[in-house]
Amino acid sequence: MKRPNFFEHLHPPTIPEPQARFRYTLGLGGLSGFFFLVTTITGALLLFYYSPTSEQANTSVQLIQYHVPFGWVIRGLHFWSAQALVVTAGFHLLRVALTGGFRAGRRFNWLLGLALLVALLGLDFSGYGLRWDASIGWALLVGTNLLRLVPLAGSGLYQWVVGGSQLGEATVLRLYGWHVFGLMLPAFVVAVWHLFRVRRDGGIAHDPALQGEARLPRSALVRREMLAMLVAGGALLVVTSLATPALDGPLDLSVLSTEAHAPWFFLSIQELLRLGNPLWMGVILPLAALALLAFLPYGIDRGSSLGRWLPSDGRLTQVIVLTLAVGLGLLTVRGALR
Amino acid sequence: MTASPRPMMLAALVLTGGVALVGVRQAAPPYGQFVSSPPVVLIPSLSGEPEYCLTCHEGIEEISSAHPTEVFGCVRCHGGQPLALDAETAHAGLLGGRNPSTFDVVEAGCGGSECHSGPAEDGLDHIHRSRVSLQSTYAGAIAAVRQAFGSQSDRKAHFAAASVTDPEVTTPTGLPSLDALLPIAASEPAQVQAFVTRCLTCHLGSEALDRPGYRRLDGCAACHTVTNWDGTYTGNDPTLARTESGHAATHRLTTSIPFTQCNTCHNRGNYSLVDMTFHQRMDLPPDGTGARSVAYYQPIAQFTACERELDCIDCHPSSEVMGDGDLHSAMSEVRTLECRTCHGTPTESPATRSVTDSADPALRQAQLNPFSTLTLGETVVVTDGGSALWNVRQRPDGSYQLMSKVTGTVFAIPQVAGSSCEQDPQDQTSSACHECHSVQEP
Repeated sequence: MKRPNFFEHLHPPTIPEPQARFRYTLGLGGLSGFFFLVTTITGALLLFYYSPTSEQANTSVQLIQYHVPFGWVIRGLHFWSAQALVVTAGFHLLRVALTGGFRAGRRFNWLLGLALLVALLGLDFSGYGLRWDASIGWALLVGTNLLRLVPLAGSGLYQWVVGGSQLGEATVLRLYGWHVFGLMLPAFVVAVWHLFRVRRDGGIAHDPALQGEARLPRSALVRREMLAMLVAGGALLVVTSLATPALDGPLDLSVLSTEAHAPWFFLSIQELLRLGNPLWMGVILPLAALALLAFLPYGIDRGSSLGRWLPSDGRLTQVIVLTLAVGLGLLTVRGALR
Repeated sequence: MTASPRPMMLAALVLTGGVALVGVRQAAPPYGQFVSSPPVVLIPSLSGEPEYCLTCHEGIEEISSAHPTEVFGCVRCHGGQPLALDAETAHAGLLGGRNPSTFDVVEAGCGGSECHSGPAEDGLDHIHRSRVSLQSTYAGAIAAVRQAFGSQSDRKAHFAAASVTDPEVTTPTGLPSLDALLPIAASEPAQVQAFVTRCLTCHLGSEALDRPGYRRLDGCAACHTVTNWDGTYTGNDPTLARTESGHAATHRLTTSIPFTQCNTCHNRGNYSLVDMTFHQRMDLPPDGTGARSVAYYQPIAQFTACERELDCIDCHPSSEVMGDGDLHSAMSEVRTLECRTCHGTPTESPATRSVTDSADPALRQAQLNPFSTLTLGETVVVTDGGSALWNVRQRPDGSYQLMSKVTGTVFAIPQVAGSSCEQDPQDQTSSACHECHSVQEP
């Protein structure tokens, strides 16, 4: 008998129809996979021109943006798919939590997903740093300084991430190392593992008690994926054509811009930092939120129903994740409005 | 179950739209509104690094013959991002916005030991001289106002528009440093405080008043670029709006500075000591046109023919207007030129010297002027301080002539000796000469 190949493994012969509906998944996991793929491929292309030295980094980005044939498209797609990925991954997390998708043996994949999200944020932040332009100085300084605050390991962690006792010429190479390897490799492995676990855990979460419900064949699933990829790909190209990712002049660490602004996905942390002690607001609180999310399927969520939005046996989970999401959203909006 | 092909068609259309938009943007890049050809690259010989500024700024005037574009390029003076092809990124890190000679950034823009922060003995310390000159410090006016309202007993300068230090004092009246007036303003009498808030706009480091006729740039460009009445650009750079004030008339530096440029500060009105406000002169022609003699000089004063016919810089040499490199309390401390410098006295001819060295600063200054014909071996008039007036020559026949630095017109200089002039050589004040030589309004 022919063993299923990887593609067939990801696409079972049939999947339950109600859970394949767009209004159930919102297509977020699949879109995240697509954006991850686009980011990876365009990132690989950018490697051919990017120079990870403090002298050349910004110049090489300008070279890509303005002089490499279609370099602006590749850079634009890389940037916009990375931003889209953070958004879709975040909402995918929310969708899974609000449909109880981490229940019944799927707990471990929830952890993989969280690890993936952390890696994505690290990738986005390191990529932001690789622009090495005047506008990233403060965010890089503040963001990396938070690492120093981590009890006991802070100083070592800082040097590990930054490549020295302070931001300097080595930092851009270090960020590059993290971006293209140190974070990318685990992200890739975990992403594949995450997909593998979905299938190993019985496919998309649905109620196994409901037998005989409508099933969707593989061809229909692939067709839907095609549709989503065409639309998402088109949207990425449109956005890339209309909006150029920011690019300022080269970063001079001795003259930091007076405007301190975190990248959008860390605006919430910037707002938290304004509220109080940096260790509590910038390190402990975000880590606690992450730990709370990780702990949800292990100690907080007691429900068992699957395959429906907002199951009544998951109210506590829903309140927790929605509170976190609304808090994150409000902080981000507040930061953006400054 | 047969799936409808329509959604897939629509989705394919979205992707095609995206691809088409990429094609449009590739074919019509943002800089396309200025050039249709591929980006214009310039590799100036000084840096050897490519610059793409002329992609959009193609047609802009060469800044001066002393700064050839193919040697200097744009970035050496202006900063910015030479590879970028959209305005926002390209202009990131521009020195002083449009004006790299603005004093905050002038050292990066125009300085360097090879450029305008060179050795004083070679006359290449232009930036230092301008920054310590009275036109920058405004120290004379500050001292006068403070004395008038009892903050100081003498007329010696203690304060300047911005704090400034001169590490090497070379003249008896030179001062080692001046403090900024603003930080101590609160402890000054009310009139001096009013002076600080209303009247400190009159120096090279400040922006000009935004009114017709007053518009000039600041820093070195205040004098060395010519602005028109409205402060609008009239050159050939396609990116610059022709209706917006705040520009030099063209992207040109000049040492042929016309009196109109001096008049963006001088002769435009008076600061009143009574109410400590600037009173704009109402008798000036509202459109900037009009005969200079009638239109611009303060009607209360008397003037001789040369003061009406020549441009300011024809008589006031660089050592006066840009200063001598020391901090001073009054213009009189740097003035080396008197009527007798060119006209002599009943018994003496003007002092002169021959230009024999090709490195003579007088020759270098002359070469920067588009009209100059001064050559090695010629004889030029010198001031009491020893500065050569390269545009005032003694001809082989013994006569003297002045060439206008602004128009190139040559004027014969009448000499006192042998004339009926009864001047006292010791009294060279303008009022003494004006007694006989003031000319009536034409």
